[in-house]
Amino acid sequence: MAMVDEPLYPIAVLIDELKNDDIQLRLNSIRRLSTIARALGEERTRKELIPFLSENSDDDDEVLLAMAEELGVFIPFVGGIEFAHVLLPPLESLCTVEETCVREKAVESLCKIGSQMKENDLVESFVPLVKRLAGGEWFAARVSACGIFHVAYQGCTDVLKTELRATYSQLCKDDMPMVRRAAASNLGKFATTVESTFLIAEIMTMFDDLTKDDQDSVRLLAVEGCAALGKLLEPQDCVARILPVIVNFSQDKSWRVRYMVANQLYELCEAVGPDCTRTDLVPAYVRLLRDNEAEVRIAAAGKVTKFCRLLNPELAIQHILPCVKELSSDSSQHVRSALASVIMGMAPILGKDSTIEHLLPIFLSLLKDEFPDVRLNIISKLDQVNQVIGIDLLSQSLLPAIVELAEDRHWRVRLAIIEYVPLLASQLGIGFFDDKLGALCMQWLQDKVYSIREAAANNLKRLAEEFGPEWAMQHLVPQVLDMVNNPHYLHRMMVLRAISLMAPVMGSEITCSKFLPVVVEASKDRVPNIKFNVAKLLQSLIPIVDQSVVDKTIRQCLVDLSEDPDVDVRYFANQALNSIDGSTAAQS
Amino acid sequence: MFNKIIKLGQKKFNKSDQHHQDNNNNNNNTSTNTVVRGSRTTTPAPSSVSNGESQTTAQSPSQTPNHPMFTTTPILEVLPLLKDVSSSDRPLLFMKKAHMCSCHCDFSDTLIMPREKEIKRQTLLELVDFLHSSSGKVNETMQSELIRMVSANIFRCLPPAYHENTGAPPEGNDPEEEEPYLEPWWPHLQLVYELLLRYVVSSEIEPKTAKKFINHTFVSRLLDLFDSEDPREREYLKTVLHRIYGKFIFHRPFIRCSIYNIFYKFLYETERCIGIGELLEILGSVINGFTVPMREEHRLYLVKAILPLHKSKGISIYHQQLAYCVTQFVEKDYKLADTVIRGLLKFWPLTNCQKEVLFLGELEEVLDATEPSEFQQCVVPLFTQIGKCLNSAHFQVAERALFLWNNEHIVGLIAQNKDVIFPIIFEALERNMKGHWNQAVHGLSENVRRMFLEMDTELFEECEKQYLENEAKACELLEQRELTWKRLEEAASLAAN
Repeated sequence: MAMVDEPLYPIAVLIDELKNDDIQLRLNSIRRLSTIARALGEERTRKELIPFLSENSDDDDEVLLAMAEELGVFIPFVGGIEFAHVLLPPLESLCTVEETCVREKAVESLCKIGSQMKENDLVESFVPLVKRLAGGEWFAARVSACGIFHVAYQGCTDVLKTELRATYSQLCKDDMPMVRRAAASNLGKFATTVESTFLIAEIMTMFDDLTKDDQDSVRLLAVEGCAALGKLLEPQDCVARILPVIVNFSQDKSWRVRYMVANQLYELCEAVGPDCTRTDLVPAYVRLLRDNEAEVRIAAAGKVTKFCRLLNPELAIQHILPCVKELSSDSSQHVRSALASVIMGMAPILGKDSTIEHLLPIFLSLLKDEFPDVRLNIISKLDQVNQVIGIDLLSQSLLPAIVELAEDRHWRVRLAIIEYVPLLASQLGIGFFDDKLGALCMQWLQDKVYSIREAAANNLKRLAEEFGPEWAMQHLVPQVLDMVNNPHYLHRMMVLRAISLMAPVMGSEITCSKFLPVVVEASKDRVPNIKFNVAKLLQSLIPIVDQSVVDKTIRQCLVDLSEDPDVDVRYFANQALNSIDGSTAAQS
Repeated sequence: MFNKIIKLGQKKFNKSDQHHQDNNNNNNNTSTNTVVRGSRTTTPAPSSVSNGESQTTAQSPSQTPNHPMFTTTPILEVLPLLKDVSSSDRPLLFMKKAHMCSCHCDFSDTLIMPREKEIKRQTLLELVDFLHSSSGKVNETMQSELIRMVSANIFRCLPPAYHENTGAPPEGNDPEEEEPYLEPWWPHLQLVYELLLRYVVSSEIEPKTAKKFINHTFVSRLLDLFDSEDPREREYLKTVLHRIYGKFIFHRPFIRCSIYNIFYKFLYETERCIGIGELLEILGSVINGFTVPMREEHRLYLVKAILPLHKSKGISIYHQQLAYCVTQFVEKDYKLADTVIRGLLKFWPLTNCQKEVLFLGELEEVLDATEPSEFQQCVVPLFTQIGKCLNSAHFQVAERALFLWNNEHIVGLIAQNKDVIFPIIFEALERNMKGHWNQAVHGLSENVRRMFLEMDTELFEECEKQYLENEAKACELLEQRELTWKRLEEAASLAAN
């Protein structure tokens, strides 16, 4: 074609594409920016492409978002680190876009680039950019600025550092709550880069201001930063500056603030050390566990194990355990559910005796909870308790409840129980398993919910793996094969499913002697679905059994099926026959 | 006898205050939730020492009367009526009553303290009447105590909203369909709002004095309450704030600014605020009062805070009020039509058809107020979008777009710009004629097409020719684009080597 000889102007292509009405085309061309850059070469990318992009920040947010992302990995295309600064102007203008995701992506890309820049370049181009954004007229720029201070601060001169700290403190007092919120949520990140001498003197002052903000939402974000700041400070400073704030916040009138404290408290304990935890934070935490607002109790209950891990067992028993007892019969099911999901973790902390004395009754009452999530959460962590109190006690006290749950009317609960059976089996051992759970495993195969039947078949396979073929021969296989005469075709189908899963575990001999006759028999079923499943199953058995068996039994059965009146049966039979031929061809 | 009842009541109150363990026999989800919510609102007790409380006192230290009566926790008791005491005793009694009403009653159970509840209700009613009748002057200290009582009642941390509630099913539910949470203690709350409203509108109350109490903090806390789920409360808030805006002229910039801040928060951070509609309603009448020519500041906020509200997916809740605000701007200053139309186009929904129908309705209202000169400025992007709507597979969108041609003013504008509009729309109409599944859209498209033909036959034929040519070229263009990129790809790998 003649067009091929025409000269190619990569920039022109991009400009053209970006004019298109179809946003998808514009998006595609931005996604291929790197192609254009490579075609242009490094120098022309710097001199032509990047300036063009800087001016083209008036597109749809989606296109801008893509641009912000692409620019973050553009350093190689402009000629390496020493030219990274050319990427700053287009990202700077993307930082001033109103749409949050565009701004955030631009900030992310700026951080990526800034953290690779050399100190000189940082001082010369990155720091001025931060200052420009921080002094921006519109809030979007100032919000973005808050997110990049920590990059600028590292590796710039002392004078500039002083200036940056002053600027950040201005942002903390900004008129717009949006900006103060951004400053609050980024304070922790910024503080990690600030020298310890200024931490107390300046950062903490900013923190104090934010914690006294008029707006709930600002205070909320300040609490979020508490723990991060606490870890940066010396323990005694943390006790003096952060502790009073957090204790105060734990009694804030806004439940949202208290909720945040409940989520952060244990981290703060790590920062202040055991003594203050005991005297100040334990009472605060106990208050939160007894909060009036269910949401706060949910958050607090979810942290109970982590918190106890920081205390010694006596304290936990003395202060926390009474609350845990109350929470286990809380009026909100979600509180109980949150508690149930972590409470098993307390067993190793309290030790065997205390667990038996204090925790076991709670476990039992939660296991009988009317709300399925609560019961599930307990069951899923049983192994943790087992390690502490031993299998005998566990089986005596908890197993009856578990057996009860195996017949729960919520199928998701049953499903969860089935999924834990192999784990239970491994914990409880063969002996216990035989008499209690064995019958249930068979019962699930006939559940009226498909997912349960499927899980039950899978469970049989896992049990066979756990206890070995011999055990399975005795306890699983006969029961399963009995079901082949079930009047319900879906249940007969489950037999085939179970066989297909168990055959690889049981090995060639048992497959040939036990399974194959049943399968061949099933090929004469009156329901076509059974028959084509037989075909599929036979195909899966081919690699397991000997070639002679394939030739003698399987092939004949499949040939019969391939003449079936039903089209699907014929189709799958032929598929299986083909795969026999395929495998013999491969062998010869 | 009375004492006994009080004791009994308090006992009960304390019990529920402590915790609500005894509510364990709830069978289902919903009843549990209501119980928790109920007991939450009634038990502000543990937080009385907290931040918020200390904040309020810190802000108005000079207003605290030093009378020992006001430093103790109030007890609800029967006091003589205001009209029964001498005018010199009235101020003190008024303050006593106001102070008394600042305590909360437990509404989780009607059996708890019924007598106290009734006393508070009666007292509030009496105070409302007192302000209304202006039978006595309300001096500064009385006002101070009154607003303190109002603050103590209405300023509270709102309960978890539906989306914050752990018990609520995850995303995907429509906030419009949810049962709103109704404040159980509305019987009291309503009277407190009524009292505040009377205070604000009373001609006896001088803004100069009142601004000490109705200050920025008070207003911004009032604005926070717009997140309340109770529609009755939002209705009162709307009226009160509107009246404050009207009376306290020096607060106006602050109120506008705070409303815009709420919009930003809604748009760029939380995407949640129940009261956007009410705030827009206030704003609508505020905009109505703007003087012409409009100040640059107002135009800026139109672009930065009001038009972006079109972005939210929950727009249907406040669209009516939003559309009113937007058309107000255009009606005030016709030069803003271009800005508004471009704003609408910027936030035009891509996949949400219900939203698109709303947009088309709003567009028609705006176009109705648009002058030819402004129309001309945005005609190309506007009709490119309308063309897309005409071809929408959703018949309501296509139909709504076609209805634009029923509007005489708009048809007039189109006729004046037919040279530009015909070529853009022609293709869309043609495509509808060829294969839109909906019969009504078919018919309407044909009507519009005929309208074009009658307007200018020559132009129509020219468009037809152009259309056929474009049709033929479309494939070629596609191929060429792919080829160009392939060549670029090659050039790129060549350069890399």
